[in-house]
Amino acid sequence: MSQPSATEERLEHLKHYFIDSDQQFEASKMGMWVFLVTEILFFGGLFLAYIVYRAWYPELYLLASEELHTFWGAVNTVVLIGSSLTVAMAIRSAQLNQIKGLIINLWITIGLACVFMVIKYFEYAEKFGKGILPGGYYTYEGIEHEQANIFFSIYYMMTGLHGIHVLVGIGLMLWLVYKAKKKVFHSGYYTPVEITGLYWHLVDIIWIFLFPLLYLID
Amino acid sequence: MSGHHISSAKFLWGVALALFVLTFITVAVTWIQIPEPWNIVVAIAIAVVKALIVVAFFMNLWWDSKFNVLLFIMSIAFFLLLIGITLLDTLYRVDPVPSF
Repeated sequence: MSQPSATEERLEHLKHYFIDSDQQFEASKMGMWVFLVTEILFFGGLFLAYIVYRAWYPELYLLASEELHTFWGAVNTVVLIGSSLTVAMAIRSAQLNQIKGLIINLWITIGLACVFMVIKYFEYAEKFGKGILPGGYYTYEGIEHEQANIFFSIYYMMTGLHGIHVLVGIGLMLWLVYKAKKKVFHSGYYTPVEITGLYWHLVDIIWIFLFPLLYLID
Repeated sequence: MSGHHISSAKFLWGVALALFVLTFITVAVTWIQIPEPWNIVVAIAIAVVKALIVVAFFMNLWWDSKFNVLLFIMSIAFFLLLIGITLLDTLYRVDPVPSF
């Protein structure tokens, strides 16, 4: 303890009300997990709506799901899992003090997130063009079911809320890149990278469920 | 130091590869038409396995403090409670919401 380490420890991130960096890190991470609990229950309401209406109109889901392109859903699944990998690599880079690797991995993640949103944009645009709009704006005639709009209301709410989360994630990671370039992060302090990573993985998990539930039921 | 587990790059790639394979399997099982309730069961089961892999090895809950594991488990428990109690109502209605 009395010996100062060879590389001087940076402690400017440490708030005075924490004993040490580890305690601060653990507190932040626990706070993030509490937030993720609220996120799970937030999306949970929509998953519940999906379940209730699927129990009421099972045949509607099978019919309406044919309007969704399994191929593009699968591509987006692969894109998001890939971005989860690069976020995990970004955290690993930060833990090893490889700030260049951290920035590169963050940029790849941002790129993959943008690919996801672009694919989603084309999916939405194609449906809007056909008159497949949520709720009362639904005018598509191609599905032989009175309540066809219900499936797409649920589809737009679930994928829309998920898409908003992806956009927020892109914003957070741009902020991380900015901070990393200012040399804020190092192996002793990378809490924002870890926390954003947890958020991003949750967004990935939500999609892991949305893909089979929406795209794969026909 | 429970919060500072450093995974090797090889391990992280392995986790991603497992997730890619499971994604392929979940698409592939729709090609062989599994009869009614079981196709849903298989799809959900694969999604749950994928989600648990992400939670355990990408979100590092495997090495994390037990309290964070407890938080996660409680959120799932309350989500299941929400589904269960709601279905006790909606599944047994004589007339589902009439005009909606």
